[in-house]
Amino acid sequence: MEIVVLIKPIPEAESRLRATPDGRGLEPEGVKFVLAGYDESAVEQALLLKESLPGSRVHAVSFGPARCEETLRAAIALGADRATWVEGPPEGSDDPVLAARALAAALQTVPHDLVLGGKQAGDDEEGIVPGAVAELLGIPSFGYVTDLRSSGPSGLTFLRPTEAGVERWEAPLPCVVGLQQAWNDPRSAKLPNILKSRKAPILKVDWPTTSKALALEAKPRSIGEKFELPAPRTGAKMIEFKTPEEAAEKLVRLLREEAKVFP
Amino acid sequence: MTPTVLVLAEASGGLLTGPTKEAIGVARTLAGPDGSLAAVTMGGPSALEALAPFGPKEVWVADVPPEAATSGAVAALAAHAADESRAAIVLLGGTTFGRDVTGRLAVRWGAAAATGATEVAIAGPEEVHVRRPVFGGRATEMRRLVGPRTVIALRPHAFAEAAASAGTPTVHVLDRSVIPATEGAARRRSLDPAEPGSGPSLSDATIVVSGGRGMRAAENFHLIEELAQSLGAAVGASRAVTDAGWRPTSFQIGQTGRAVSPQLYIAVGISGAIQHVVGMVSSRTIVAINTDASAPIFKVADYGLVGDALTILPALTREVRKVRGLPAN
Ligand SMILES: Cc1cc2nc3c(=O)[nH]c(=O)nc-3n(C[C@H](O)[C@H](O)[C@H](O)COP(=O)(O)OP(=O)(O)OC[C@H]3O[C@@H](n4cnc5c(N)ncnc54)[C@H](O)[C@@H]3O)c2cc1C
Ligand SMILES: Nc1ncnc2c1ncn2[C@@H]1O[C@H](COP(=O)(O)O)[C@@H](O)[C@H]1O
Repeated sequence: MEIVVLIKPIPEAESRLRATPDGRGLEPEGVKFVLAGYDESAVEQALLLKESLPGSRVHAVSFGPARCEETLRAAIALGADRATWVEGPPEGSDDPVLAARALAAALQTVPHDLVLGGKQAGDDEEGIVPGAVAELLGIPSFGYVTDLRSSGPSGLTFLRPTEAGVERWEAPLPCVVGLQQAWNDPRSAKLPNILKSRKAPILKVDWPTTSKALALEAKPRSIGEKFELPAPRTGAKMIEFKTPEEAAEKLVRLLREEAKVFP
Repeated sequence: MTPTVLVLAEASGGLLTGPTKEAIGVARTLAGPDGSLAAVTMGGPSALEALAPFGPKEVWVADVPPEAATSGAVAALAAHAADESRAAIVLLGGTTFGRDVTGRLAVRWGAAAATGATEVAIAGPEEVHVRRPVFGGRATEMRRLVGPRTVIALRPHAFAEAAASAGTPTVHVLDRSVIPATEGAARRRSLDPAEPGSGPSLSDATIVVSGGRGMRAAENFHLIEELAQSLGAAVGASRAVTDAGWRPTSFQIGQTGRAVSPQLYIAVGISGAIQHVVGMVSSRTIVAINTDASAPIFKVADYGLVGDALTILPALTREVRKVRGLPAN
């Protein structure tokens, strides 16, 4: 199976977030961008499928600024066979539909039976890219997927938890999957593989090529205008009590009268 | 300006879902007195009946069985309805279904798109502004969506549900031939329904009571469930609990589980590891109950109780039942 996995570099979970001086977006300076969250699970799932289906290959693809290269190297260190960096526009863009258009354009020449992504990116949490890529490629797509299994050369089965319950699906290949959970926790890369990945070749599709292919659609239509951090939580108001009954009575009173969240 | 706002409506058991009623409320506000509200639904005649009292002028309806309702099929039908209604904005509820359709619909219909919106405002003839939480609720952003067409999925519970009004909409039946042939091979084989009577699901709940390893043993977890029941809340758990098999992974909240943002989140015997916190920190009010006064959960909580959950929970359940006028149990 030819597996493409879509990955987006996102700030490490522990990063301190702050806004750029113009207040429109996240300040990237001083932030370490990594392979993480659902995308890390997508890579893990891609590798698990590859291991269970001899002859499969995993191709990691990332759209955006130069930091994509490092994230792609992380995927190679974990076991991806190839990597493509689809360069973003010089002025930057965080429009998920534009990302999907650029990725889909690059995928025209990349063999793909299965395109795996995260159910949503850990930074913008849009959950838009996988479905948009599928629509552009003219193939089915499924978000919120868990327990993804191959069912022979041309199909997949998976579960999808929804508000109504857990759905079980059968889907044809090729298709796009937005993954919620892999079978396993993501593995860690071994040191020799990390070292090797530093020299691995990364294919590049430059922005002029993409922008020409997208023509009028090369302009972002979703544009960050203001990035705001909540006032830091100042820590809990601690409720003093002597007995469990007193604790219960005080808490319920605060929830009713102060927080006003009591049903 | 007189925009038409189209809502992708979901119904279940002959009633509109909460997220759909929230979307209708937002659509009415955006359309204003001059614009109009339209709706599209895949649920056939029963959905149509559920929808009519909410006052759309026009309804596009298709009868797509849930087994075949792939995002590709729904996006194709919804884009067709959006064209026919000359909508400027399509709104979707913040459900799995709604969010899964958003990206496809945006491409199919040629629109700018965003999901998880907590505020939506028309800012100009071809510009809509949305506010949305990002980074697991650690930040919010305001985005400009520019162009004549916009698709937005809302965040559940961020808006009030519209009340039923009245109306007899004009009904159009959607032609299923717009569905791409490639969608035909995917099939939903089964649905294992969410446990009935177990209260609201995590993503629907306005209150979540979550238990961690501090509950000490699987046998004590019923104390979490009893408090949840008294509050009409959903039950969540930390990963320590799901890993130990006290509850299935569908209960897990956090980085590798679900993200929730209810009005009230009660964390019991949960230390507050960052991987848990990212899944609940955007809750409006957070209560923590923990024996360890230095547990990190108290840094993100609004109210803290330092003490033994096993004695505090029964007292709390009794107090809640008393105040809510429920029979003691
Ligand atoms: C890649 C990765 C992903 C992860 N994803 C998730 C995730 O999605 N969700 C998640 O929850 N975790 C996740 N974790 C695990 C996370 O790091 C923590 O290990 C986990 O959240 C701890 O669960 P806990 O708070 O229940 O247990 P503990 O950390 O053991 O905390 C138990 C708490 O209970 C208190 N306590 C003990 N007895 C009592 C009592 N009688 N009454 C009251 N309080 C008591 C203790 O003081 C302590 O603070 C992930 C970890 C990794 C590495
Ligand atoms: N810039 C990008 N490059 C590669 N993949 C992406 C990019 N943005 C999003 N994706 C993929 O699409 C998923 C959903 O992203 P989003 O729609 O931004 O929430 C992510 O988890 C990735 O798998």
